[in-house]
Amino acid sequence: MNLHWSVVWDNAGALARGTELTVLLTVLTMAFAVPGGILLALMRLSRSRLLSGASASFTELFRNLPLLLVIYAAYYVLPLALGVAFSPFATALIALGCNVSAYNGETFRAGIASIRKGQSEAALALGMSPWQAMRVVVLPQAARRVLPVLASTWVSLFKDTSLVSVISVGELAYTAMLIRSRTFRVLEMLTAMAVIYWSLGYPQAKLVDWLNRRFGVSE
Amino acid sequence: MTRQNDEPDAHVVLAYRDVHKQFGDFVALAGVSMEVRKTEVVCLIGPSGSGKSTLLRCTNGLESIDGGEITLDGQVLPRHGRGMRAVRQRMGMVFQNFELFPHMTALANVASGPLTVLRLPRGEAEARASALLAKVGLADKAASYPSNLSGGQQQRVAIARALAMQPEVMLFDEPTSALDPETIGEVLNVMKALAEEGMTMLVVTHEMSFARRVADHVVVFERGTIIEQGPPAQIFDAPLVPRTRDFLSHLGWEG
Ligand SMILES: Nc1ncnc2c1ncn2[C@@H]1O[C@H](COP(=O)(O)OP(=O)(O)O)[C@@H](O)[C@H]1O
Ligand SMILES: [Mg+2]
Repeated sequence: MNLHWSVVWDNAGALARGTELTVLLTVLTMAFAVPGGILLALMRLSRSRLLSGASASFTELFRNLPLLLVIYAAYYVLPLALGVAFSPFATALIALGCNVSAYNGETFRAGIASIRKGQSEAALALGMSPWQAMRVVVLPQAARRVLPVLASTWVSLFKDTSLVSVISVGELAYTAMLIRSRTFRVLEMLTAMAVIYWSLGYPQAKLVDWLNRRFGVSE
Repeated sequence: MTRQNDEPDAHVVLAYRDVHKQFGDFVALAGVSMEVRKTEVVCLIGPSGSGKSTLLRCTNGLESIDGGEITLDGQVLPRHGRGMRAVRQRMGMVFQNFELFPHMTALANVASGPLTVLRLPRGEAEARASALLAKVGLADKAASYPSNLSGGQQQRVAIARALAMQPEVMLFDEPTSALDPETIGEVLNVMKALAEEGMTMLVVTHEMSFARRVADHVVVFERGTIIEQGPPAQIFDAPLVPRTRDFLSHLGWEG
C-alpha cells in the first residue's frame, strides 16, 4: 500500500483552520452551556411548578435524543419553525448548546444539592435573601464541586463537535473528510485527524484527571 | 418564680407566648412561653429532641411556627417572607456545626454579612471584620480558610461573623457540642466576655457549669414544653420539679 503523507502537508492550512473551528465550537458551546446549565438547575430547583417542569422537560428531551438527530433536526426544523435561516455554524452551536446545557443542568443540580442545608441557613440567618444565599454561598461551592464533571463534559464535547460535520460546518472532521473526497487519500486523512484530535484531547483528559484529584472529593 | 413579670416590658427583647410547632403529626413545641430580657443570658437545657433547636430556629424564622406568637422588642415577628429577613439581621445565630463558608477566608466569612446584606463598602466591611476577629482572639487568622482552623477557632470566627451584623440578640445552638474538649474553653470564654459586655443571649447548651456561672435565667425543656425555669441557683441547687433533678443527675451534675 502506498501512503502519500504529502497530502497532509499540502493541506496543513485547511486542517489548521478546521482545528481552530473545532476549538472555537467547543469554547462557544461551553460559554453558552455553563450559564444555560446553571439556569436549568435553578429553574429545576425553584418552587414554581412551571419553571421546574419546563426545565425537566428540556433536560429529558435533550439528554435522551442522539446528538446527531438533534443536529439534523436543528438544521432542517429550526428555519421552518422560526422562519429564519441560521448559518450551519450557528445551527451547530444551538444544537450542541442545547445538548450540553441539558447535561450541565443535571451536573449543577447535583452540585447544588450536595451543599448541605446548613450552609444556606447560615447565609439566611445573616439576613441574606434566598438569591443572595445561592449566589454568594451555595453556587461558588457547587461550582468547585462540579468542576471535574464539567471538565469531562468538555472533553466529550471536544470530540462530539465532529458530528456537526454532517451539516457542513467546516470544522476539523468536515475539513479532513472534504480533503479525503478530493484526493481519495482515506488512510492519510483519517490518521491526520486521529493525531490532531488525540494530541489536543489527551492533555485535556490529563487536566481532567488532575482536576478530579484536586477538587474531586474535597469538603 | 414571678421575676419575669415584675419589671417593665421595655426590657423584654424576645417574648414567646404559647408557641406551637409541629413537624407533620409530631409536636416539637407544645405551647412554649418565656421571655429574654435585655442584657440577659438565658440558657436552654434539656434532653436531646426536646425542642431547643426548634425554638431557636423558629425565633429567626428558619422554621415557621404553627401557633402562638414570638415578639422582638414588642413587635410580633412575621411568620415568613421578606419581613423575616429584616428581623434576621437583628439576631445573630451560631450553629453547632459552625457552618462557616468553606470557600471564604476567615475575614471574608466575617465580612460577608456587612458586604452582602448591608452593602457596606468593602474597606469598611473588612475593617469591621478585622476588629471582630481581633476581639475573638483570631487577628492572625484573618487570611486562613476554615479547613485550616481548629474547631474552636472556627466557632469563634462564626461568632464574629454573627456579631458583624451588630445584632440585638445572639442565638447559640449548642456552640460547643461539636468541639474537641480542649477547645471548648476558648469558645465559652468568648461567650462569657460577650455576656459581660451586655449582649443579650439565648444559649442552648449542655455545658452545665457555663449555665450555672453565666446564665441569668435557665429554662428546662422536655418534649416540647418548659418543665421549669428560674435563676441558675434554683435550677441547679434546688429544682422544684423532680424531672429537672433527673435530667441533671443523668448528666452527672452534682450541684
Ligand atoms: N425538620 C424537621 N422535620 C421533622 N422533625 C423534626 C425536624 N426538626 C426537628 N424535628 C424533630 O423535632 C424534635 C425536636 O428537635 P430539636 O428541636 O432539634 O431538639 P433539641 O435541639 O432539643 O435536641 C426532634 O424529635 C426532632 O426529630
Ligand atoms: Mg438541638
